[in-house]
Amino acid sequence: MELVVEGLQAVFVPANFLLLAVGVFTGILFGALPGLTATMGLALLIPLTFTMNPTAGLIMLAGIYVGAMYGDAIPAILINTPGSPAAIATTFDGFPLTQKGMAQHGLVAAAFASAYGSLVANIVLITAAPPLAAFSLKFGPPEYFWLGVFGLTIIASLSSGSMIKGFLAGAVGLLLSAVGMSPIGGDVRLTFGFPQLQAGIELIVALIGFFCLPEILSNVVGRRRASYAKDPVIPKLRVIGEVIVSLLKKPVLMLRSSAIGTIVGFAPGAGGNIASMVSYNEAARWDSNPEEFGKGTIKGVAASEAANSAMAPGSLIPLLTLGIPGSPPAAVILGALMLHGMRPGAELFTTYAHVTYAFMMALLVAAFLVSFIGSFGSFIFSRIINIPSRFLAPAIIFMTVLGSYSIRNNMLDVWIMFFFGLVGFVSNKLKFHPAPIVLGLILGPFVEEGLVKSMLIGKAAGGILPYMVLRPISLVLIGLSLMSILWPFYAQWRARRRQNRVAGSAGGESQCD
Amino acid sequence: MRLNADLLISLFTATLAGVVYLVTRDLSPYGAVFVDSVLWAIAVLSVLVFIKGLIKPERIEFFESVIERNNILTGLSILLIYLVLIPFLGFLAASYLFYFTFNVYLAEGKRFKTANMLQSLVICIVVVTTFYVIFHQFLGVPLPESSLFQSDS
Repeated sequence: MELVVEGLQAVFVPANFLLLAVGVFTGILFGALPGLTATMGLALLIPLTFTMNPTAGLIMLAGIYVGAMYGDAIPAILINTPGSPAAIATTFDGFPLTQKGMAQHGLVAAAFASAYGSLVANIVLITAAPPLAAFSLKFGPPEYFWLGVFGLTIIASLSSGSMIKGFLAGAVGLLLSAVGMSPIGGDVRLTFGFPQLQAGIELIVALIGFFCLPEILSNVVGRRRASYAKDPVIPKLRVIGEVIVSLLKKPVLMLRSSAIGTIVGFAPGAGGNIASMVSYNEAARWDSNPEEFGKGTIKGVAASEAANSAMAPGSLIPLLTLGIPGSPPAAVILGALMLHGMRPGAELFTTYAHVTYAFMMALLVAAFLVSFIGSFGSFIFSRIINIPSRFLAPAIIFMTVLGSYSIRNNMLDVWIMFFFGLVGFVSNKLKFHPAPIVLGLILGPFVEEGLVKSMLIGKAAGGILPYMVLRPISLVLIGLSLMSILWPFYAQWRARRRQNRVAGSAGGESQCD
Repeated sequence: MRLNADLLISLFTATLAGVVYLVTRDLSPYGAVFVDSVLWAIAVLSVLVFIKGLIKPERIEFFESVIERNNILTGLSILLIYLVLIPFLGFLAASYLFYFTFNVYLAEGKRFKTANMLQSLVICIVVVTTFYVIFHQFLGVPLPESSLFQSDS
């Protein structure tokens, strides 16, 4: 407790607090610009922290990390373009909210949920890091395989029209994820002579192509809508209170989403994109009005954002205790720790405890700053959407080209973005929605690596199937996957039964009349 | 003309699976296991969607009107020309040209009025230059330079 108070004191030293605020603001900018990510922001700004003392440097990095985890929601909500793959599920309800003239509701929900998720995960990080880190080591190849499969079952709830077409789209996404070098064996696959494709298809390029370009082509270019959204946004102060109160009245949704983010975070390598999608799926599944999801509800935005923001402190649990980074930005933070002569493990909680706790407290305070900046910033951010589309659309296309190019500095990524934009436009018209394609693309590497490694180890252990199936975490994940696939059928059956009951009682009443 | 979306989707995905099958026959067993499993899944699901297309097809109108079709084709052409021009003119010059052209194109009725042209020009210069400076100068992203004006030395 003493260390926690000391950590808080270090954060509230004026110079450190200013650095934290600058970090949060910079992080939001990095998260909000497609093509710039939290990892890139941290990597670029680490040299700035060299000259600072370790506490001040790490406090600033904490601000960047937490800020970026919220920032990616801004373009996801406003222009249907996730700032990073972790915000993909935010687009599902965020953009429909914008189209209804409720962009501010989405932005405030994202800011508050980000802060909430970050807060919960930080409390877990502070209180239970060592036992959870030991648990994270139980995640082997079969668990990653089943986690990927569980993620894929989300397609069942994403494909509102036809589940078969949803799974077909997901399979196409899995096939796209196979482009490049295979994780085991090193085979070069489906590169069609382009050496740049050996590293695979860059996720953010696919996201921009599938989500952003079709929207512009369809509504702005095709239908000549004067404004990017159907209704203009008029930000109001009372919206902030309304949204926060409404989310506070959903403690189960918020806690479940934060818990999912934290758990996925401390499984090394999983990351915010899986966290947000699993959380979104669970939110839709357990909600009393699941039909509201996908049509613009703050619950969907909150579920996704609470999870992907909780993932950030979650990914630091194995990093600080075992030296295993749970996400790419955590790997950059590991580098920063090493540069300051701090090695992960027991040393961090003894010799450098004052720095470590200051860093953890900075993550906590940054969460509050995000909530504040995000909520009041919504007055400015949400007005962006009122800019006439003839000015906004060229700017968005220009940014997508710039963002796609900047990730790997090659024009091929820009052409891939353009091609996926066309595919996304055509598939939207054919009611073959691209969200499952992107889901397959995200989860493919997990599933493949888990599958092939499990096959190799399982063969040596005497049986592939028992090795993959008969492990406690695998069994839980298999159970969850089955439940996830069967749930839409159960929900349909329940709705039909309710309808019949209502029809039956109405018939009975009319007979009595 | 209303198209049968299910048949189109199943034919496209089956063709894609076929092409991928043909170009992945030389992979090692561990490189092929995932690809082959996915190809099987696509084959089975394509057949199911094809059957659905025959029994209970989902019919769609691809473009709502001829105007919409022409608008999209023109917009796509401008974007395509922009991407083709980037290596020749350089990122900055091509972006100025694209931004201004696209902006003027979307202005419709007041497209060629002087005030609109000036407004488009100013906004184009401000937006493109700002982001160019952030990415190229501040973040050090090596954006494409013009290949037309490079000296041979």
